[in-house]
Formats: sequence, C-alpha cells, structure tokens
Amino acid sequence: MTETIASETGARPDYRSMPDDEFRAALREWLATNHPGRRPKGSNDERIAWHKAWLATLFDAGFAGPSWPREYGGMDLDFGKQVIWQEEYARARVPGPLGTGLGIAAPTIIQYGTQEQKERFLAPMLRGDSVWAQGYSEPGAGSDLQALRTTARRDGEEYVVNGQKVWNSSADIADVIFTLVRTGTQESRQNGISYLLVDAHAPGVTVRPLRDLTGDAHFTEIFYEDVRVPVANRIGEENGGWTCVRTSLGHERAAGAMNQAAMYRRVLDELVELARERGLTADPLVRNALADLEIRVRLMRYAGMRTISDIEAKGEPGPASSTTRLFNVIFEQDLHEVAVDLLGEYGALGRNDPNAVQRGRWVWGFLRTRASTIGAGTAEIQRNTIAEQVLGLPRDPAMPPR
Amino acid sequence: MNLTFTEEQEELRASVRRFLTDKADSAAVRRWAESDEGYDAALWQQMAGQLGLQGLAVPEEFGGAGYGLVELGIVLEEMGRTLLPAPFFGSVLLAGQALLHAGDEESRARWLPGIAGGTLTATVAISEEQGGSALESIATTATRADAGWSLSGTKMFVVDGASADLVLVVARADDGLGLFAVEGNAAGVTRTRLDALDMTRRLGRVELADAPAQRISGDGDATELVQRVLDLAVVGLAHEQVGGAAKCLETAVEYAKIRVQFDRPIGSFQAIKHKCADLLLRVESARSAAYSAAWAAAEDLDGLPVAAALAGSYCSEAYTHAAKENIQIHGGIGYTWEHDAHLYLKRAKSSELLFGTPGRHRARLADLVGI
Repeated sequence: MTETIASETGARPDYRSMPDDEFRAALREWLATNHPGRRPKGSNDERIAWHKAWLATLFDAGFAGPSWPREYGGMDLDFGKQVIWQEEYARARVPGPLGTGLGIAAPTIIQYGTQEQKERFLAPMLRGDSVWAQGYSEPGAGSDLQALRTTARRDGEEYVVNGQKVWNSSADIADVIFTLVRTGTQESRQNGISYLLVDAHAPGVTVRPLRDLTGDAHFTEIFYEDVRVPVANRIGEENGGWTCVRTSLGHERAAGAMNQAAMYRRVLDELVELARERGLTADPLVRNALADLEIRVRLMRYAGMRTISDIEAKGEPGPASSTTRLFNVIFEQDLHEVAVDLLGEYGALGRNDPNAVQRGRWVWGFLRTRASTIGAGTAEIQRNTIAEQVLGLPRDPAMPPR
Repeated sequence: MNLTFTEEQEELRASVRRFLTDKADSAAVRRWAESDEGYDAALWQQMAGQLGLQGLAVPEEFGGAGYGLVELGIVLEEMGRTLLPAPFFGSVLLAGQALLHAGDEESRARWLPGIAGGTLTATVAISEEQGGSALESIATTATRADAGWSLSGTKMFVVDGASADLVLVVARADDGLGLFAVEGNAAGVTRTRLDALDMTRRLGRVELADAPAQRISGDGDATELVQRVLDLAVVGLAHEQVGGAAKCLETAVEYAKIRVQFDRPIGSFQAIKHKCADLLLRVESARSAAYSAAWAAAEDLDGLPVAAALAGSYCSEAYTHAAKENIQIHGGIGYTWEHDAHLYLKRAKSSELLFGTPGRHRARLADLVGI
C-alpha cells in the first residue's frame, strides 16, 4: 500500500507555482467534473465505501491536504492558496474528511512523528484508506483531561492498554484510534501521559454507540481491555504525550475561517424563508430576532476575513480569531432557539411526528447544538483560555498547574 | 472588502494615541468638560495644525488631506478611548461629511477650509422635540425669503448645538426635506445648552424663529442625503464606541490583575475571567462591525445603509455592556465619581440613544435586507 502511494505521489501535479486565479479555476473545474454526486441511500457500509472512493480520487489527483507537506501526499500550499482551496471545496459541496484524524492527529504526527511513522500513517489517512478517530475524553476526564486514567503498561516492545474512552466520533468506522494514555503515575497528571495509535481492530477493543440527547448515536464509547499496542505506535516520548496534543499545522484552520460563516449564511436564509412561509415576518419581535442573527452571521464572515488578512499581512491571526469559536457556538445555539420559538407549538413536536415542520430539523438542531458549548472544550474552558492567554489574567491558584 | 489596516493607517493610529495619551489624561478631560467652552482651544489648534486631524477627510482643494472615512474612523476610535471633549464629532464628522455629500460647491468652498483648519466649528441638527431621528416627522419649516431661506422650528439634542459657529439644519421646504446652513449667531437663532448625561459631549437646543439660512442640498427633496448623513454619523459613533469599549475592557483587565481579595487577584476568579472573555468577544466583533461600515462609507455607498445599521446596533450594545461590566468588575471604586468608569457609562448610554437606538437599527436592517 505504502509503495503504491509513494510511486503515485511522484507523479502528482504541483500547484504551488501556479498563479492564484489559475489554481482556483483548475480546482473548481476539477471538483465540478469529478463531483461524486449525491450520497447513496443504501447501507452504512455502502456510504462509507462511496465516501472513501471520493477521498481516494481527490488524493490521486493531487488535490488533498492543502497544508500538508508534499512528501506525505499533501499540496504544501501557501496560506493564500489554502484559503482558495477551502473556498472552492466548500463551494463545490463535496464530502469532507472521514474521521477526525486529518485536523487533529496529522499535525501531531507531522511535527512529532518519526520518519517511519510519517511514511506509514500519513498518506493512507489523507487518502481515506484508513479512518482515524480520537480517544481523549473519559468518563472522569472531560475538561480536566490531565486526570485521564486509561493506563498503558509497558511489556517489552508493547504497551498493554486498559481503560475507557468516551465521546469519540467516527470510532465505529475507524481503523486507528489516536489515544491518550497514562504511562506515569496517576498523580503525574500531564507529565505521565503518552500518545498512542491504537489499531481499532485489535483484540480487546470494543466500540459501543453512545446514544445522545437527540436520540441519535453520533458518538461512541471505547473500551480497552488488555489491548496490545506496539511501542512503535507511540508518537513522541513516553510520558511526553501532552505536549503533542495541541499541535496545529501553521494556520490551516484559519484558512477555512469563512466556511462556517458561509454555511450559516445559508442556514439563516432558510430560517428567514421559514418565518416568511409561516407569515411571521411582520411581527416586530420576530424581525428583531432575525435582524440580530443577520448581524451576527455577517460579523462571523468579517471576523473570518480579518483573521485571514491578518495572517497574510502580519503572519499572525490577531485577537479576533481567539473569540471566533465562542462567537460561532453561541450563534448556532441562538439561531436554533429562535427557529424553535418561531415554530410555536410545532416546536414541541419530535422529528418523527408527521406534522413536524421540515422533518424536525430545527428542533433537532436546537438539541444538537447543546453539544456546541460542551464538546472540544466547553465554553467555560474557552473563556478561561481567552482570559488567561489573550488578556493575561492570572491563573486560578486552586487549579493544578498546566 | 478589506478590514486590515495599512502601515500608514497604523502609524496614524499610533500618532493620535500618543498625542492623546500625552495631552488628554483623565484630569484634563474632566477640566475641559467642566469648562465654559467645553474643550481646550489650544489643543484643538494643535490637532489641526500639528496633526491635521480636522482636515484628514477633507479634500485637498479645500485645505484637507483627502483621506476618507477609514482614516477618520481611526481618529474617532482613539478619541472615543479618551473621551476627548472637543467639537470633533460634530464639526468634522457630522458637518464636514454633510457638506461633502451635499455636493454644493459654494458651501464647500466657504466652510470646509475653516473646518479643516480648526478655525470654524459646525454641526448638524436633525432631531426635534419629540426625539428620534424619524425624518418623516421633521416639522421645522423652511420658506423662501429675499436672500435665500428663512427657518422656523426647534431642534433638540444637537451635538455642540449651543456653541457651533455653523449649524446645518434639516428642515421641510415646499419641495421636501432640505439641508440648510444657519450661522450660529444669526438673528432669530436662540441656543441653549442641555444638561447632558454625558459630561464629555455637549448637546444643545436650537430655536429658529425666521432665522436666515442658505440651502446647501439643492432643489428637491434631500431625504436621501440626510439619511446618508445619519448613516455616517452612526458609523463615526461606532468607531468611538469601539474605542470606548476597548478602553473599558483594558481598564477592567488591568484592575482585575492587581485588585486582591481573598488573598488572590480577583482576575484569577472564573466569574471575572468569563466576563472579560465575553467582553473581548464583543469588542472584537464590534471592531468588525465598525471597520466594515467605514469600508462601506469609503468604498461602497450602496452598502452603507446596511453596514451602518449593523454597526449602530452591535457597537452601541457592546459599548454599554462593556461600560457596565467595567463598573461591576471594579466594584465600589467603580461607583465613585473620582473613577472614570462612570464617564464611559454615560458616554456609552447616550451614544446608544443618539442617532437611533439599537432596536431601531435592527428594524431598519430587517427592512433593508428584505426580512
């Protein structure tokens, strides 16, 4: 597998020296020509196969991994072209990545992995040949991730892993689970954590769907029972996993800063249309609520523009980007609450009721976005981070040191 | 749209900040606010002569530097940070922009050089006794007279209305709304200073009884022009609001770092941290709102009404919130007359109420974007 990709990567076209407008046109045309069409209705397996086929097509054409080094199958684009890539990719409405490896694990491996690990893991992840899921949170370690208790005991050239992870998305379809484990004492906190790549198909790994308050199972729980993981699958030093956790690749996330704004622009237009259909746009209270959302969806876009142009002009994203995520999660909660309120009693119907408006999408969104201020760092933790790291306020002396 | 400043613009900001930090500390601001004139004439002259601030957005042919709303916005933001009491907002932004956009060559040539040079102060009078900036209810009348026009009616909440050398008055003529120039000391003009909530910005009442005037908006209804002047006023105000809100946040953060209670700085408590983080979110979003509105004013006048309504709504609420939280974070000291926190609260609240409330701005935005 690795050899095939290596020989193909040599032939991949290089877009780095292409003028920006030509690159945009080439990518746009390629995406239009190769668009995989609608997601097939069939079984989950069929949908995954369809999704993987798309990622392989993208990779083989040299259009995957805009920020990644070329030697691992990426495009190594400058920031300006990364922004173009993000814009065109979102515009084309083609499937995104499978799993959560690309944005989270890959930068860690690129920065801290050995040459052997980079060659072994990166290209298959980017091509969609292997799907990655994150194993960080535990029932007893959420915001306080440094308290995690899943253990990895060294046994020769292997670790023996025991414990439980939770809130893992895509773990049910994953091939690799990038997992934080305790290799030091429980009291060692962040100084006793290691970063392991666990084969999701290994004996002793059990993945169970976790039903959330929406009634769906978007997340899973993972149980490790004497799972043997080769030491060669450890990224970074033993007990040095914590420093690897928050790695990002340049400003790759900022390059997509406009995408969420563009997505919510569409959603808000649909909400306004809903209000109009239901004859509510003459109500001053409704108009006020919708105007407030209109203001914020525009500000979301402007913040993205400022972040991007700050990076281009100064090399750093500036303070506006530090509050972007908090701004956006509050916005998406508020938007769905306005929507549910608009529906009146219809907002009290579940999505399976035949009378549910637009198949209950707004009510479902209201429920789903409860997770927005919890997952990937609660809003409270985000506020602490903003206060301490951007505004320089003192650490809480009752909190353990970081 | 470009929302990042050029190096030259950053230098402008730095030099205005240096100037105001040196010259306009809290004691000076209070002294000028309480003086008869309401500002420091020597400083005003330095601003015009040394820094050229009054003429920044005045075309070169009228003695200015020929820049636009983005640069003027930078200056207003810095003045908002210091609460500088000066006729800058009324004279330079309101009247200067009104004269520019009215398009009357004679009145431009007559008054813009004085505004740019800091030798003439001016303002714009729109609101009347019933309050609000609803143009359809303007009742001040303009009738044709021998050498121009004659105005009668009462204007309220006029920024620097009791002191400006020149008042540009919105009045109703037989062919619709018009913009008229009235000299402050003309016969038939009676002016009273109002006791304004905001010590650092003067408001006046201007009574006109057959006051002689010149029409500067040309023949025909000038509602569109007056609306544009209102929009530009809101954009200018939004920059002041960003400056004031950012200053409130900085002051609160600095205090939270040094104020010790329960043997620890209060800024180490999450209750305070979260307030400050939320303030940063609002301040940064307010920046996006104000800067995008300045860009529209400079580059995309068709987009100005929406941009102004957006900025007017968001920046007004952000500033008032920041001013209130600043007092709350300061606790008792923030409630004293001695501390400047109340000056910011009063500036914030009154700015929120001049030229349209946030709710009115949102109602207008809803109309404009077709909700």
